[in-house]
Amino acid sequence: MTGLEKPMQAHDTLPWADRWVRAAGAGRRLQYSVLAVLLAFGVAAFFIMLSGKNPILAYRVMARGAFGSVDAISFALNKSAPYILAGVGVALCFRARIINIGGEGQIAIGGICATWAALHCGAAPGPLPIVMSLAAGALGGALWSGIAALLRIWRGVNEVIATLMLNFVGLLMVGAVLNGPMGEVGAGFPQSPVVPDSAFLPIIWPGSDMHMGILLALFLCAVCAVLLWRTPFGFGLRLIGASQPAARYAGVSFARSMLLVMLLAGALAGSAGGVEVLGVQYRLIDGFSVGFGFKAVAVALLGRLDPLAVVPAGLFFGFVEAGALAMQREIGVPSSLVDVIQGLAMVFVLCSIGLDKRRKRV
Amino acid sequence: MSVTLNSAELGGLLASTVRVASPLLFAGLGGVLCESAGTFAVCIEGMMLMGAFAGAVVAYLTGSVAFGLAAAALGGACVGLLVAVCTGRFRTDHMVTGLAINILVLGLTSFLLRGLFGGRAPNIQMQTLAPWTVPLLSRIPVIGPALFQQPLLTYAAFLAVPPLQLLLKRTQLGLMLRSAGENPAAVFATGANPAAIRAWAVIAGGVFAGLGGAVLSLQELGTFTDGMTNGRGFIALAAVLIGRWLPVRTMLACLLFGATNAIGLNMQGWNLPVSSYVIQMMPYLIALGVLCCFGRSTRMPAALGAPVSTH
Amino acid sequence: MTAMLEMRAISKRFGTVQANQAVDLTVPAGRIVALLGENGSGKSTLMKLLFGIVKPDSGTIVFKGQELAAQSPKEAIAAGIGMIHQHFMLVESMSVVDNVMLGWPAAGRWLRRAEMAERIREASARYGLELEPQQLIRDLPFGARQRVEIIKAIMRGADLLILDEPTSNLSAPEVASLMAVMRRLKDEGRSVIFISHKLGEVMEVCDEGIVLRNGRVVSTFEVGSVTRAQLARMMVDRDLERAAARDERPAGGHVLKVEHLSLSDRQGRALLNDVCFSLREGEILALAGVDGNGQTELVETLAGLRECSSGTIELAGLDITTSSTKARLAAGLAYIPVDRASTSIVPAMTIEDNLAMRDYTSKPWRRGMLLDRRAFRQQALTHIAGFGIACAGPAITADSLSGGNQQKIVLARELGRRPRVLLAAQPTWGLDPGATRFVIDQILALRNSGAAVLYISAELEEVLMIGDRIGVLSAGRLEGVVPRSEVDLTAIGMMMAGAARDRAPVNDRQDAMR
Repeated sequence: MTGLEKPMQAHDTLPWADRWVRAAGAGRRLQYSVLAVLLAFGVAAFFIMLSGKNPILAYRVMARGAFGSVDAISFALNKSAPYILAGVGVALCFRARIINIGGEGQIAIGGICATWAALHCGAAPGPLPIVMSLAAGALGGALWSGIAALLRIWRGVNEVIATLMLNFVGLLMVGAVLNGPMGEVGAGFPQSPVVPDSAFLPIIWPGSDMHMGILLALFLCAVCAVLLWRTPFGFGLRLIGASQPAARYAGVSFARSMLLVMLLAGALAGSAGGVEVLGVQYRLIDGFSVGFGFKAVAVALLGRLDPLAVVPAGLFFGFVEAGALAMQREIGVPSSLVDVIQGLAMVFVLCSIGLDKRRKRV
Repeated sequence: MSVTLNSAELGGLLASTVRVASPLLFAGLGGVLCESAGTFAVCIEGMMLMGAFAGAVVAYLTGSVAFGLAAAALGGACVGLLVAVCTGRFRTDHMVTGLAINILVLGLTSFLLRGLFGGRAPNIQMQTLAPWTVPLLSRIPVIGPALFQQPLLTYAAFLAVPPLQLLLKRTQLGLMLRSAGENPAAVFATGANPAAIRAWAVIAGGVFAGLGGAVLSLQELGTFTDGMTNGRGFIALAAVLIGRWLPVRTMLACLLFGATNAIGLNMQGWNLPVSSYVIQMMPYLIALGVLCCFGRSTRMPAALGAPVSTH
Repeated sequence: MTAMLEMRAISKRFGTVQANQAVDLTVPAGRIVALLGENGSGKSTLMKLLFGIVKPDSGTIVFKGQELAAQSPKEAIAAGIGMIHQHFMLVESMSVVDNVMLGWPAAGRWLRRAEMAERIREASARYGLELEPQQLIRDLPFGARQRVEIIKAIMRGADLLILDEPTSNLSAPEVASLMAVMRRLKDEGRSVIFISHKLGEVMEVCDEGIVLRNGRVVSTFEVGSVTRAQLARMMVDRDLERAAARDERPAGGHVLKVEHLSLSDRQGRALLNDVCFSLREGEILALAGVDGNGQTELVETLAGLRECSSGTIELAGLDITTSSTKARLAAGLAYIPVDRASTSIVPAMTIEDNLAMRDYTSKPWRRGMLLDRRAFRQQALTHIAGFGIACAGPAITADSLSGGNQQKIVLARELGRRPRVLLAAQPTWGLDPGATRFVIDQILALRNSGAAVLYISAELEEVLMIGDRIGVLSAGRLEGVVPRSEVDLTAIGMMMAGAARDRAPVNDRQDAMR
């Protein structure tokens, strides 16, 4: 036939070699995220100087506070786990151009369900209480995201607005539930009773607070990576995100894919809520999930919507937050700088995405 | 359930409604401008917060409310400028950019509050804007206090509604603005620049939203606290959606939300079977309900969220 | 009397394509001048040059005695030129009066709505435009929207109106009223440039005109002294290329039967009008026709991407009228869409993913719950070798390939499945001659192996070269299906130009009954 440029050899095109190619491609994309983060740190340094402190010193303290001890690392990992869990769900949605920003609400409802399940099945043997509580959290989150998905499918309600509104409803539900059926009698603060010991997430590093949430997050990220790249469902998501006409041409049902990916994202966010409740607080506390949802979006973006890259992005968020607390404690630089860094990083990544309309493998 | 209100209580409720609605209204008007020209107004929350912060800090430092208000407007406008640059020049997604900027403003205001005053957050206390009493009219039972005994900014918010409605409906500028949000190509065909129109609309929206924040810090609380807008920007967004992007209807929606808030605050004495949390959920549930009913809205600016493409 | 418009020796090149070559056009005042030509003949470019959207490489434009070098539409409008585009620049949710006032300083900073409304009513009455100022554009039919654009141009004082294919989507009565409007403008001393490929209309309303082909003026004419047939020949006259290798064999049994297929849009306009035809094994039915006459609608309806309003589609005895895309694919119906940029190919995906795009839910691409990437790779290598796709490997993204190679991906995917029926919509669009030849050879090879092909193209040459039977799609109707040996170039030209619309449509009924 015409125009063959070089003959195909069987041995230089084995599928597993793609993994390296893909990793290299992902690495190239991540370089924008790294640049964005560095730029964010740079701008934040300017603000630190504005407040009269030495940024180099501040960042050094931050690094020590994040990595300096086992306690610091376990604190950071515990913080990262829910970000990674919720973030990978959002990343899958965004792949299909479905803008799901309902993490706040889904995490909140997930936390409620996980707490409820933990309080009621603490007597079950073995790992069942943990399993069932996390599963309940996942179900709750899926239910919450499912509502938004159905509103979009049935009534054409924009999923951004729907998830946004449901966020606030979800957050208020936590308060409502804690002031009612699940509240601890006699406490001065809206919180639930402590869940039974059997529902505590196991500690994976003896002598520290590091719970298994991070392992769960890593595992589920791997599962989502397989889902996205290795299953027909994931292929369909990528098609929808790339081009809706092409997806229709290929026979992919938008409604079905949308519903499934939203349910999945909700389940992941719900389990993040469960992890937060069962691993850190051991009870449901009003406002436990504030800020998580939006940060999940930031993590997804920073990870360029790649389930595996979401891990370092989530870790970044967790470690920066851990370090910021130390920074505030030791030299008085307010920890709200973290939000500045995260917000700036997000803005820079978004701008880089907007500019880089070239070769981006879908 | 029996809820009986005497006229004084009803009057108090109405006054509270109007008062609570005023920051929402400023923000909502900002949202109307922003979205009518085609940019999603998820960033209102950040604009409000920046306005609240700038207004409080400048008023505290200069001792002048007027400077504070100017600073609030400017602060909101700066946030608007950032949004305009990102969504216009860099063509970022409107919704996510708005969220990112909200987070940024949240952190920045908290940080600067401590940073600028060294160490811990200072307790900015100011004389809040006191209510202006219109003689005679404010004596009218029930509605008197609500309509004629309100602070300056509340009057300003409601008085801003008719001019804005007229601007959008009756002037060439308003026509161009709305067209930029409906069909930028049509604007381009007349020789104007739809991208510039959008940018200015976002900045103007920032001015209004910033003033909304000033209502909170200068009129309501007399101070600035971290994240004090507390989601009001999103309620204002809901009001814009319910108000179908029209100033007068947005005002009515804000009043509705003000009412739910006022009812929520005063509920304790009424023994209603409904938890106050449910009342607080009302704005969001109502917004969802309205959107469900209208489904794919024909009123929504057709080019909302779509980047302006050149020929 | 000096002409209102004189375009002299206009040339414009876009990359490798010479869109206009030394074109001269003179428009006297008070005349309606036709600009005739097929797709790609250079009509649109010429008008874009006039209206200031692009600048000419060489040549001059003299309008109303003054040289015009419009840098933007704004200047052209100010000079007195009004352009009625094919795609309207209207805001749907607003009223007629608001759309007229948009961006028009004369309407005032404070919109003088009542005054404008009155002026609209006056102009509407004077020119017979039948417009009410308060109507919303959204509620207006296509013809009325066009009249809104016309009234915009008139009120802004246009002395020269350019109408770009104005009748493509109009019903017969709407066409008649448009012509009446044009005549009224002419009576006032204004001029009109009427861009079209429809001979009947040109003969009816124009005074004179030019014919463009491949960027050059091939003839100028006065309507009174030329016949339709002569014009048709001028538009399509070309040498028939040597036909590609084809087996002469009798066609087999009927494999695709389409009966009374109709499709209307939301405003009730007929996009497809009672289309009937049937395809037999081993034959190619090639349809000619200018873009916008129902081509896309026909193939999309047949492929399952659109639902027809009425009619039936039968594939090898199986009724697929309401089947999904996937079901039709499984039944043996392959489809090459016209849009390569975002439908038939996903440029951001790898070549092997693109090759698997329509089949990944079935074996061998899918094994159980997972995709079998080794099978992806195998299939990709096979197709790359079989169709000679020039690429560095199956794992690179498709956007790095040339148009020709991208189309090879589509061919490999659709032809590689050995379909019973292939729907090919403009498969050579945007390809260089070498790639074009390849595509045509492949499709002929498919036909030789016994499949049936429905081939649609706006390039008459191709249609004539490739079809066993040839027909024309005109305004959603299938007309004049004749075997290759009975092709009459003039008749086809006239059908493409819509001249046959006045007669009863000749559908392909004889074949269906055999």
